[in-house]
Amino acid sequence: VQRFTELVVAAVLLAGLYATMAYGLGLIYGVLRVVNLNHGGIIMAGAYIGWLLHHRFGIDPYLSIPAVMAVSFVLGIAIYRGLVRHLPRGPAGGVQSLLLLFGVWLVLRNAAYLLFTGNDQTIRTEYSTRSIGAFGVALSVNRVAVFGIAVLSLVALHLFLTRTFTGKAIRAVAQNADSCTLVGVDVERIYSLTFGIGTALAGLAGVLGATLFSFNPSYGSGDLLKAFVIVVLGGLGSVMGTAAAALILALVEGFAIYWLPAYLTGAVGFVILVLVLVIRPGGLFGQRVLG
Amino acid sequence: MKLLPHWVSRPALAALVAAVAIGAVLPKVLGWSVYSQNQVTETFLFVAAALAWNWMGGYLGQVSFGHSAMFGLGGFISARLLLALHLPFWMAWIVGGLVAAGYALIWGHPTLRLRGPYFSIATIGVGEATRLVMTYWEDLTGGSSGLSLPITQGLKGQLYWWGLALMALVIAGSYALRKSTFGLGLLAIKSDVDAAADVGISPTLMQDIVLLLSGFTVGVCGAFYASFQNFIEPGDMFGFDRSISFVLMAVIGGVGTVIGPALGALVFVILRQYLIGSYPQLYLGIYGLLLIVVILFEPLGMMGLFFRLARRFGLLRPEVEAKLEAKAAVGGAAVDPGKGGAP
Repeated sequence: VQRFTELVVAAVLLAGLYATMAYGLGLIYGVLRVVNLNHGGIIMAGAYIGWLLHHRFGIDPYLSIPAVMAVSFVLGIAIYRGLVRHLPRGPAGGVQSLLLLFGVWLVLRNAAYLLFTGNDQTIRTEYSTRSIGAFGVALSVNRVAVFGIAVLSLVALHLFLTRTFTGKAIRAVAQNADSCTLVGVDVERIYSLTFGIGTALAGLAGVLGATLFSFNPSYGSGDLLKAFVIVVLGGLGSVMGTAAAALILALVEGFAIYWLPAYLTGAVGFVILVLVLVIRPGGLFGQRVLG
Repeated sequence: MKLLPHWVSRPALAALVAAVAIGAVLPKVLGWSVYSQNQVTETFLFVAAALAWNWMGGYLGQVSFGHSAMFGLGGFISARLLLALHLPFWMAWIVGGLVAAGYALIWGHPTLRLRGPYFSIATIGVGEATRLVMTYWEDLTGGSSGLSLPITQGLKGQLYWWGLALMALVIAGSYALRKSTFGLGLLAIKSDVDAAADVGISPTLMQDIVLLLSGFTVGVCGAFYASFQNFIEPGDMFGFDRSISFVLMAVIGGVGTVIGPALGALVFVILRQYLIGSYPQLYLGIYGLLLIVVILFEPLGMMGLFFRLARRFGLLRPEVEAKLEAKAAVGGAAVDPGKGGAP
């Protein structure tokens, strides 16, 4: 029972991080109908920016979050304005934007490799190894902090999308961009803003992940798949659906470590994906992402 | 008497036969060194693999970032067969290809329900999961230390003609898959799956068939590569770089065109040779830049460039040009001016 509680608590804490990275991917797809294949690249970039600020200037990774998010936000807008905007929309543009963003990812990876070498890096702070007790289990301070920040940012995002004018405009564009043009919403501005928010979330996920795991220039490719599984599971645009799906993925992964050899746990996400597609092609909560 | 199906163009067939005949005697006529002959053999191999990738990525519009899974599986299955049963190598290749095709069907049948970008992300997962499992499955792949194949004297030189034959078959297959009635069905699926299903095409069945063919061919290419290299290891065979290379070859040459990926493979092999020699730390980024540039400026790659030049100099007959335009629009690779840019 003790072990069981520990696993569940660990999974819940990890789910916060998963939800953050999945929400950015889902938001961009929901509004622009473009899959940001560069999501993993931004996650990796976020991790390195956090690491650089900590390593060079001794800034605590949690304090560097605003800076990391700002940089990824600007990076996202630059990618949108400079590249993605020029592609056609619709099915043809879908494949093209995919290949294009994949190219951007390769460039980012190569840049990280040149700047920081291919070695694994970690962010170590003095509280990295500290833990607190709760529910009868020991919790790493870092994991709790990551969970808290992830939940806070998702709640903030939810409030932004539902309570502010711009947020409502974003949701309106997701539903029908043409009608938005008719009522005077600057759709192009909303697109680039959404892309920026999505990449800022990826950057946040990157720096949060960097406090927990070691990373190298290919960091983020596994996260892309996980984020994708969560989007398929949880459907688009719902914070609750994303959170639930993130929790399911984290739980299954956590328990899989018990039953499977370590190298197979990487395949767990994929197996879940296939199962969902076969059993409930519409996602667990009914929002279709197919087609 | 009608020997050929109506969609086979006689000039194209004659050109292929002539090209194969010339290719078959070329090493003897030009007196190539062993080194350059091997380079050409490798190019043949990648031409075949790029075309097979294009059946999925170009004809169906389902871009796969996981084709290394079939490439590697074909390679290791055939290597094991060669080591354990001493089969003739071509037989081992076919079995390797069949196993790869079966594997493709296992992961592809459910994931092909995903359309466009979602399928592609799923294939990244397939590729990575396969690589991880295979790296640790030492009984099959020998783990990270890899497998050495028995070296048969003179086989490497002989492989030139096998490679030529393989490439010719795959080119013929590409042509057939594009021009036949079946190919028309694929175009319909690529343009609009639901509409295609409405007019009596079974997208599931046809996608599975293309997947099987593509998986089989890439598996045979992997097996060929194994015989050619005499040594294979999972990191190289199943690596992400391997999957990317198929994508790049097709994109550089022209996704969805019949012969474009073959040109792309040629350019890619030359480019890789040069880059690995001169800029080993930069090649990934240069591939990325190439992708970006091609997609932004000429989505049909070298074929698009070729058409553009031909049009500029008025080399295309009007009816050919009209046909090309219609095809590009249906193929979905060309930019539709009505939908381009901001809405």
